[in-house]
Amino acid sequence: MYKEGLQRTASSSLLEEIFYDDEIVKKFLLATMIWAGAAFLFGLIAALQLAYWPLNGNMEWITFGRLRPLHTNAAIFAFAGNAIFAGIYHSSQRLLKTRMFSDLLSKIHFWGWQLIILSAAITLPLGYSQSKEYAELEWPIDVAIAVVWVIFGINFFGTLKKRREKHMYVAIWFYIATIITVGVLHIVNSIEIPVTLFKSYPVYAGIQDALVQWWYGHNAVAFFLTTPFLGLMYYYIPKAANRPVYSYRLSIIHFWALVFIYIWAGPHHLLYTSLPEWAQTLGMIFSVMLWAPSWGGMINGLLTLKGSWHLLRTEPLIKFFVAALTFYGMSTFEGPLLSIKSISALGHYTDWIVGHVHAGALGWNGFLSFGMIYYLVPRLWNTELYSKKLLENHFWIGLVGVILYYISMVVAGITQGLMWLAVDGQGNLVYPDFIETVVRIIPLYWVRAIGGLLFVVGFILMCWNIFKTIQLAPKKVEQKPVVVERTGYGEIYNAAHRKLEGMGLTFSVLTFLAIAVGSFIEIYPTLSLHKYVEPNSFVEPYTPLELAGRDLYIKEGCYVCHSQQIRPIASEVLRYGPASTVAESMYDRPFQWGSKRTGPDLARLGKRYPNLWHYNHMVDPRAVTPKSIMPSYPWLVDKNTDFLVLRKKLSVMEQLGVPYAQDVIANADIHAQKQAQEIAADLEANGAPKGLAKKEIVALIAYLQALGQKGKN
Amino acid sequence: MKQEALKYFTDTHLTAMGLVIFFLFFAGVVAWVYRKHSKEIYAHLEQLPLKGGE
Repeated sequence: MYKEGLQRTASSSLLEEIFYDDEIVKKFLLATMIWAGAAFLFGLIAALQLAYWPLNGNMEWITFGRLRPLHTNAAIFAFAGNAIFAGIYHSSQRLLKTRMFSDLLSKIHFWGWQLIILSAAITLPLGYSQSKEYAELEWPIDVAIAVVWVIFGINFFGTLKKRREKHMYVAIWFYIATIITVGVLHIVNSIEIPVTLFKSYPVYAGIQDALVQWWYGHNAVAFFLTTPFLGLMYYYIPKAANRPVYSYRLSIIHFWALVFIYIWAGPHHLLYTSLPEWAQTLGMIFSVMLWAPSWGGMINGLLTLKGSWHLLRTEPLIKFFVAALTFYGMSTFEGPLLSIKSISALGHYTDWIVGHVHAGALGWNGFLSFGMIYYLVPRLWNTELYSKKLLENHFWIGLVGVILYYISMVVAGITQGLMWLAVDGQGNLVYPDFIETVVRIIPLYWVRAIGGLLFVVGFILMCWNIFKTIQLAPKKVEQKPVVVERTGYGEIYNAAHRKLEGMGLTFSVLTFLAIAVGSFIEIYPTLSLHKYVEPNSFVEPYTPLELAGRDLYIKEGCYVCHSQQIRPIASEVLRYGPASTVAESMYDRPFQWGSKRTGPDLARLGKRYPNLWHYNHMVDPRAVTPKSIMPSYPWLVDKNTDFLVLRKKLSVMEQLGVPYAQDVIANADIHAQKQAQEIAADLEANGAPKGLAKKEIVALIAYLQALGQKGKN
Repeated sequence: MKQEALKYFTDTHLTAMGLVIFFLFFAGVVAWVYRKHSKEIYAHLEQLPLKGGE
């Protein structure tokens, strides 16, 4: 049906009739909307749980620690991911004047990606998590992601190879950078050793893991949520406005600057940690430098509408693009600002960061995707949009929602930050009880939830509008071929002119080099840290029971609200104890420095409270902290610890360099049970129920009591 | 302990190397973009989205 036909015109130029594969675009578009609904719903529930803790429902599968990674994965990889693929499959065919390289690979890509999302939706609520930010999925799913991404890459580069347009428009450059870099990031970050089918330990530990994870985490934002969307912006704004991009030269300069600089900026997530100072400074400088290329992209997009602002009235979908670019500009102004060390001291670990990422995710990625969907659906289904009025309502309701979300979180974050930092004239903390800083921002959590609700209401309007559009579209429209001509190949410009714009392979290699330079210079010295630091001299490894407890800590998502990194800031040292050191986390796989503090830091928690305090704290947090918003974890008292798997776990840790004696590995379960008996006996003696030795709560208590207690000095 | 690790990691030449590579790279891109007669090819490239149909 889709055989391509050839014909010659009177002028003898070779014209071909081809069919674009729009079915795959439709599939990705519908998947985008379905998963967007899931992502927004999970986010709304999570927001409500923070405002009103009983909504955790004492149910392990929906408790905040497990729901939050489900929400972020759904938003990034399911919603944004499918939107990216829809846009790339649609625009690439048209820009390269060819059908996709392989329909089969397109289908495998689509269904493979949906299966990965489904796997995430099942495993994350069950607690199968690596606790690596935006890379929580366990190793079999990581392997599947790598395979599907490579299939996508083959399909895309195959399409690039068989293109009929020699020159590669700037959107294609952004797609190339995305595919290469995400592949590199995912593979390097996911190197791990499996323990069981759903459990693995990363090969990186402590500071190494922190740097690799944030190299990945920051660049997931850069190359999954920024570069592909910039590519889409460079295609769909000119299309919607029917005018070329404001400055093609600017687009090239900002592309290369962005690709080169972004990869260095990850360490700004680790300011004031035990990451070496030079790496922190590097991260800060390159983050500040990002201002220029980011704004280059925003200005280029907005000025594309120069002279056509009336389109905002006649083509209301352009409102979404304009708002998206505005939020992109705001977020990329705020990001470098937050990367300045002194500002990071205030903002890091607070809700300001949550506001910042949601301005990007909802405003930039969300609105750009919505604009693209409104543009594409009528064209793909050969019809008109059902209601421009609904579109307008969606825009304004969604916009108010994002603004409420953003403002409430920035205010909450700055409030938190200032309260945490406050020290009086005598050198004492003004707010020594952490809960004071939590209670103060609860009203803002409600405002955030209202903002999120409005965003969801707007999205529902879109779903209705799109549903009616498709429902009213003609049912059977025969696809018409597109007549294309090979262009750019026979042109005789000065030869040097179009070399790079027309050389797919060379261009891709250069892009790879641009990201490889920064990655190597940043990561290599940290990976060789063991040459300089001998942690065995300074730190004891976790006992088998503590390791079991640590894995439960990760499973329950405690890291989502608690950090394990005391920054060398006076107020933090006053509140928590001596600042964290580089050595003490060198056996932590993965690291647990955290990125948000809804509760206090736990790095020096060990031995601070008796075992019974921890027991009560997990079963009913309100029993020890009356105004706590922490969920209850009653299932930890019912479920048994898996002692038998500990031999395998310790064995893998030993392979990774943790100095466990062979005797400890061979009898890990026995060692663990012995320690569990001691803790259970203590709990029982102080009034807790009998028979807790086998229960998960005892293992978790063992881990919590070990925090900050492993240093030999 | 932290100080000991940092002692070995004051690799300022790495930072400097990164900045120099970036600067040269950036200068190269700017030179490429503003090379002679480039305007006409960019005039062609910027029209590509508008030529590809819906």
